[in-house]
Amino acid sequence: MKHIRLYLFATLFTLALGVSQAMAHTALCNCFDNGDGTVTCEGGFSDGSSAAGVAVTVVDAGGAELMKGAMDANSQYTFKKPDGKFTVKFTAGEGHEVAVQSDKIVQ
Amino acid sequence: MKRLITLLAATFLLALTVPAFAHFQMLYTPEMNKMGKLEFKLVFTHPAESGHVMKMDKPQEFFVINKEKKTDLLETIKPIKWTSATNSDEGFETTFSARGGDYMFVLVPTPYFEKSEESYIQQITKVITNGDAVPTDWDKPAGLKTEWVPLDRPYALYPGMTFRAVLLSDGKPVPDAEVEIEYMNYTPDMKKNAFAKKGNIEAPSDHFITMVHKTDANGVLTFTPPFAGWWGICALGAGPDKQFQDKELSQDAVIWIQATSPKK
Repeated sequence: MKHIRLYLFATLFTLALGVSQAMAHTALCNCFDNGDGTVTCEGGFSDGSSAAGVAVTVVDAGGAELMKGAMDANSQYTFKKPDGKFTVKFTAGEGHEVAVQSDKIVQ
Repeated sequence: MKRLITLLAATFLLALTVPAFAHFQMLYTPEMNKMGKLEFKLVFTHPAESGHVMKMDKPQEFFVINKEKKTDLLETIKPIKWTSATNSDEGFETTFSARGGDYMFVLVPTPYFEKSEESYIQQITKVITNGDAVPTDWDKPAGLKTEWVPLDRPYALYPGMTFRAVLLSDGKPVPDAEVEIEYMNYTPDMKKNAFAKKGNIEAPSDHFITMVHKTDANGVLTFTPPFAGWWGICALGAGPDKQFQDKELSQDAVIWIQATSPKK
C-alpha cells in the first residue's frame, strides 16, 4: 500500500511538472511592416529559445493558404504583403500556435 | 539686531539641512513593453521632485543591443530643452523603431561638472525594453565600465515583485556599494518636454524620496517596487574611473525599472 501511494505521488508529481512546463513555455509571434511591400514575422518562446524551423503559413480571409514557409536561423520569416486581409499562422506544435491578423501588424 | 542675526542664522541652517535629492540620468520612454515607435528623452535631472535640470553635453556613447547586435544611436539624437519645476536646460530626444526581443539601451554621458562640489558626475545608464515577451539580452552585461546586470527582467514586474541586479565595475561584482533609489514622481510630458506639474504621490518624509540601499557581499541589489511606475536605481561612484580632467569623478551605474499593475 505504501508503495502504491508513493507511486501515485510520483506520477502526480511528474504530471504536475509536465503541465507547468507547457504553461511556462509560451509560443510568441509578432509581425512588422517593412514599409517596402514586405512583412517580417519574428517568432520565439517565452524562455528565450529559438523558433528556427517553425512552420509559418499565410492564409487569406477565407482561410485559403497563400504562402507557406519556415522561420529562418534568426527566427524570422519575410514575405510579400498580400492584398486584403490575411492571417499569419505560426505552428510550433499542439498548444504552441499563434495567429497574427493583418490589422495587428506593427507599423 | 540680535533677533535679525538669529533669524539669519536659523535661515542659513535651514538652507543647509534641505536634503540634497539625487541626480538621475533619465533615459525615458513611457512604456517599456512596447514594439514599433519608441520615443526617448535623455535628461539629467532630479525626477523624484521635478528638480534642477542640468545641461547635458553630447554623450560619449548611446547605443542599443538587440539579439547581441549593437547599433549606434549617437547620431539620431536631437537637442531639446527640458523644463522642471525649477528651471529649463538642455537634453536630447530620439525615436527608435523596435521589433522582437530585448532592446538594451545604453547611454554613456559626457561627465557633468558639478560646480558646488568641484567634481564631475557620469551616470552610465541602462534601460531595457521588450515588446513581445521573448527574452534575449536582458541578463547579459554590455561590457560597460560600470553597469547593473539584472537577475529579474526589469520590464516585467508587478508592483510587489522583487527586482535583483548585480553591480559590476570593470566586469567584477561590487559588494557593499551604496545605492540610491528614487520613484519618478513627476511623470514626463513627452509633448511639452516637461515634468507634470503635480506629483503622483506625496512622500511621508524625505526618507522616501531618495531611498538608500546597499549591495550584498556578492554585489547583488534586491529591491521590491511597492507600486507601479518608473524607479531609478543608481550606484554612486561604482565605476573604475575616479578622475576626469584633473578633478574628482563619480562614475555611477544607473538602471531604470518599470513596475506595471495588472489590468482590471
